Amino acid sequence: MVLSIVLSGLAIGCIYALIGIAYNVMYSASRVFSFTAGTLGMAGGILGALFILKMGLPVWLGFLLALAGGALLGVVTEILAVRPVLKSLDQHLYVLSTLALALIVQQFAAIEWGTDAQPFPRIFNIERNSFDQQFWLPMLACVVTIVGLEVLYRRTLLGHAFRAIAEDNYAARALGLPERNLRMASYAIAGVIGALAGFAGGQMMLAFFDNATQLTFYGFVPVALGGMGNNRGAVVAGLVLGLFQQAANFLVGGVFASVAVFAAFILVLLARPEGLAGVALGRRV
Amino acid sequence: MDMSTTEVRPARTSLLSSPALSTVLPWVVLAAIAATLPLYAGGYWGVIATRACVYWVLVAGLNLLVGFAGQLAIGWVALLTVGAYVTSVLAAGNVLPALHPYLALAIAGVAGAVFGVIVGLPALRLRTFYFAITTLGFATIVRQIVLAWASVTGGGVGVPGPVFPAPFDSQWGFYYLCLIFAAVCTWMTANIAGSRFGRALTALRDAEVAAEASGIAKSRLLMVVFLFSGATAAIAGGLFASLQSYITPDAFTTELSVLFFIGVLIGGRGSIIGPLLGTILLTVLPEFAAPLVAWSTFLYAVLLLVIVLAIPGGIAELIDFKNRRPLQSNRAIVPRPDLLKRLLTQDTEPGRLTLEQVALSFGGVRAIDGLDLTINPGQVHGLIGPNGSGKTTTLNVISGYYMPQGGVAKLNGVVITELAHHARAQMRIARTFQTPRIVGEASVLENVMIGGTIDGRGTFVESLLSLPRHRADEKMLHETAMLALSAVGLEQLAGVRADRLQHSELRFIEIARALMLRPAFLLLDEPAAGLSAEEIRRLGALVVAISQAGTGVLLVEHHADLIFDICHHVTVLNLGKMLAAGTPAEIRSHREVVNAYLGG
Amino acid sequence: MSKMSITRRKMLASTGAAVVAAAGISKPAIAQKDPILIGYLPAVTGPSSSTGIGITRGTELAVEEINKAGGVDGRKLELIVRDTQSDPTKAVNATAELTRSHKVNIIWGPLNSGEALAVVPILARQNMVQLHSCWVDSLTDVKKYPLCYRNGPTNQQIGGAANRYAIETLKKKKVAVISDTTGYGTSSLNAYVPMIKQLGGEVAYQSSVDAANPDLKPEVLRMQAAGADVIMPWSVNAGFLSRIINTRGQLNWDVPIVGQTTLGSGQTQALLEKPEYWAKVYPNNFKPVCYDAKGKLPDRAAAFVDRLKANKIEMSDTLLWWIGVGYDAPFMIADAVKNGGLAPEQIAGYWNKAPRYPGVYGTVGFTADSRDGYPDNEVIMCEANSLKQGAFNLAPGYGAA
Repeated sequence: MVLSIVLSGLAIGCIYALIGIAYNVMYSASRVFSFTAGTLGMAGGILGALFILKMGLPVWLGFLLALAGGALLGVVTEILAVRPVLKSLDQHLYVLSTLALALIVQQFAAIEWGTDAQPFPRIFNIERNSFDQQFWLPMLACVVTIVGLEVLYRRTLLGHAFRAIAEDNYAARALGLPERNLRMASYAIAGVIGALAGFAGGQMMLAFFDNATQLTFYGFVPVALGGMGNNRGAVVAGLVLGLFQQAANFLVGGVFASVAVFAAFILVLLARPEGLAGVALGRRV
Repeated sequence: MDMSTTEVRPARTSLLSSPALSTVLPWVVLAAIAATLPLYAGGYWGVIATRACVYWVLVAGLNLLVGFAGQLAIGWVALLTVGAYVTSVLAAGNVLPALHPYLALAIAGVAGAVFGVIVGLPALRLRTFYFAITTLGFATIVRQIVLAWASVTGGGVGVPGPVFPAPFDSQWGFYYLCLIFAAVCTWMTANIAGSRFGRALTALRDAEVAAEASGIAKSRLLMVVFLFSGATAAIAGGLFASLQSYITPDAFTTELSVLFFIGVLIGGRGSIIGPLLGTILLTVLPEFAAPLVAWSTFLYAVLLLVIVLAIPGGIAELIDFKNRRPLQSNRAIVPRPDLLKRLLTQDTEPGRLTLEQVALSFGGVRAIDGLDLTINPGQVHGLIGPNGSGKTTTLNVISGYYMPQGGVAKLNGVVITELAHHARAQMRIARTFQTPRIVGEASVLENVMIGGTIDGRGTFVESLLSLPRHRADEKMLHETAMLALSAVGLEQLAGVRADRLQHSELRFIEIARALMLRPAFLLLDEPAAGLSAEEIRRLGALVVAISQAGTGVLLVEHHADLIFDICHHVTVLNLGKMLAAGTPAEIRSHREVVNAYLGG
Repeated sequence: MSKMSITRRKMLASTGAAVVAAAGISKPAIAQKDPILIGYLPAVTGPSSSTGIGITRGTELAVEEINKAGGVDGRKLELIVRDTQSDPTKAVNATAELTRSHKVNIIWGPLNSGEALAVVPILARQNMVQLHSCWVDSLTDVKKYPLCYRNGPTNQQIGGAANRYAIETLKKKKVAVISDTTGYGTSSLNAYVPMIKQLGGEVAYQSSVDAANPDLKPEVLRMQAAGADVIMPWSVNAGFLSRIINTRGQLNWDVPIVGQTTLGSGQTQALLEKPEYWAKVYPNNFKPVCYDAKGKLPDRAAAFVDRLKANKIEMSDTLLWWIGVGYDAPFMIADAVKNGGLAPEQIAGYWNKAPRYPGVYGTVGFTADSRDGYPDNEVIMCEANSLKQGAFNLAPGYGAA
């Protein structure tokens, strides 16, 4: 029992953390939170099952296509739902536009793919054992993403450009950085990360349209608790969330597990609205 | 502009008291259609119409929350669930002996009010997106609890809905019951929309700092709205349960919640008729073709995206013909300082406003470093200095947005530093902002009326029911606001949407709004920025007249000419410290000031 | 898995014919050619759509056959379909549309208990005859819903067979009862827990779980920890049931699974990780559509299977009994209209007295005191992995009830 809790807790925690990172990447690029992060996760799972199981493509190709699908979704989000509303001073518009787009994609998936959870393919043809691929695939994906982002942000020029846009938008533009293209690229990267979460977590969460709603919420918890834009905080918070949730599921089960997670989330947020590792709101006037 | 008349012609502009046909006509038409529905519509459309009424009962309340207050409560179906189950369980007698349906409905309303406050509490601490997510979480949790608490709610099996007694037990009878509720909710929320509470909500939504500067206490007002919205949603839940005749947890889906939310937004914020038409549209839309039913949420989302991108103002903007009329292009702002005496009557001696050794740091940066400042009533005190010298920060300390780490602010000898920033308005300290903070979607007059919110006597409930004190408040605020607008020279634009105005006009509107407080002290944050030379001259005359009426003015400015023309005293700041203080003549020739700031 | 397309018969453009039909005149000379409108409420999409998909195939075939043979005294049957999407709210909307807008003569459906719980009281108030195949006991009541007829088994009948098989035939002592959170699942769980105790068994684990939950390992582990020696799932959601079966297989836990008929559907089979996981799974089923000890289907069912094959109707991804009950319903309705009349009282009056109708799926009949038409002795247990063309062998050790 304990082994199951730890393994599934860390695995699902990594999936939540990856969605949280997707939220953060989009936030860093545009200063807005997008409702589409959870939808990206759903897309990764459904596209993976579609390409590999339904269309019979080889696993590596299905994987790449699923990631490409995520990138496409990310770019579409930027063009349709974010760019047009950034100009407006109105705070609420981006919430609505991204919510609308997330719903559109999710409903389309529900109607075309079906409302039942469909199985997700085994990636590697190994027998099931305790430390099964459904557990270490999300963990691997999480590690790769973290390392990849570190390398990107610290070692590459492109990464430096991303960070410049995130930290001081005006200065970056004054320097001549192509803000719009960089933002699109960031959203594409967020799309890839989200789809990766869904693909790697497919064996645990199955290809299910309602994963979008689940991941929108549970993927946001790491962001809220770890601090906006803080990827390391997101990972830690995600793992803690995953372990807590699975412990509750296995030991108590039923409604109390979700109520406990949710109550804990609300209480922590109320105590520290900026998150456990975040920075307090700056000057408003 | 005719300068000789001293009478001010009131312009009728508040949302629904206009006699103009365009505002009243839609209501009349709707009421006529709704009341006579049984005569020409079949039983099936009766069901749809009843459903639209029930949804509207919820959306009317949600409208105040989402449309007016700007709180993105996406998961409000949680309240519908609570109301539906409380009513049904109490009426069915699962737990206690069966109660009369009306009583059960009333209790559901109370439960909804309480739960609405619970769901709403995070809104006070959390950012928009965070709050939206928590309401989604609440919706899921309520559903889960209903599923698990099977002994009371029947769990997955469900529970029969209440049946209301005659004459509301037939299909059309029940329709009329729901119609009555819908009409009452419409009336009540329209009353709020046209009251100081409705304006205060839109101010909190679009110009929060200005709202607080006008004395609007965000927490209390929001909690009242959550209470009301929760109650209407719960009552809608009871009616919904009756309409369904049987409820299971599956009936309360996220899709339904999204429908309500989208209904408000495609209707347009700050409007009553817009969301009403939006709700009717969304309820009726899937009925026109059976295949549409499966795609309904998809279509709602597409509609929402289209509205957000193309017509953010929603249906309300589409039917707002009044604001399509072109404005006069070469408008001039001609203040009437002579009107100020009528506006700024003061009974008590306000004393002086002082800062003593105030020190404030942001992280490692000392924004204000031991500053002394005194503002006397009846005088204009200028505050100048280079960018980053702490001018606006000083103003923010006085108006209570920042708590200094050292030193105090005093009004008439009483320390006021610790008090909440929205308490400043009670002390008759008013201010304007570096960038105009106004409610773009509201009219100019409504924006100015926001400034006098705390002068209203009527409670929220009195406004809800349009009781005499509410109407007296509205009359008083209306008149005072028109007076203020005339004083600053903008009364001919009173009915125009504020976001259609030029930047300079917005600055004067902010002053008019501040004047509503009949301020003992007026803090102006760079009011001349963006004004033409002529406008600056008129602004100066206005400020002088304000001070002559007895108000103490603190003028933070970059326009040195304006400062030297009208100020009695000038303080120069540099790097958070006072560099020099004295009369304009003294400052103009002060060597260090010239070096640091004024230049050759 | 083949997706069932919803074939919609013509929607009435005008209500003229319906108005005449609703006037209730038996065999009116003027309206001789007006169709008999059957309002049909399947769940063809959503988590409980397994029933709707299978049953619709039978119903559409039956209507086609009846109309090809000339209809009922020259009047064709017309099916007006509304998908409830497994949602009780949408079922209520659809019912309102069918009865008020299209003014149908009779309602066939809903096919899931959760939706029926909401719809049955509404139809009773509207004095509309309803035929449904849902199992929850409270869905018929001679006094409260005199015009509501059930052509399927009740939960008592189903549970009786299943629970007795688990405890008396398989000799298991500690039962783990698991259901989904639909109205059907929860009612079944509530009905069966006391039944198990009455039969002398112990309920080691009981829980209703969201059918969409992708990971049932916590639940199964808790069943194991409680010492259960048989799992009894109650749900029509193939995904949910397949996950229970898969988890049992992954854990290598050798206990039988005894429960809902959907355990044996082709849909469930398609979702299994390994075919061997389907061993020791014993769902309910019905004698008229199962292979007997010699491996032969009863004649009526055999002929039916041939007709299905001739019409290229798929059986392998669903259950034969679903197609069967869907097929029998229009025939029963046609029979009642022909011999009794079209008005609600006439149909009810006929059904309350008529002899049992010899359908493919069962011999269904009602009395003045009972609206539950399915006979006890036709409810049996079968063996899931013997699935062949939608029908099964009887479960091992299963004697005639």
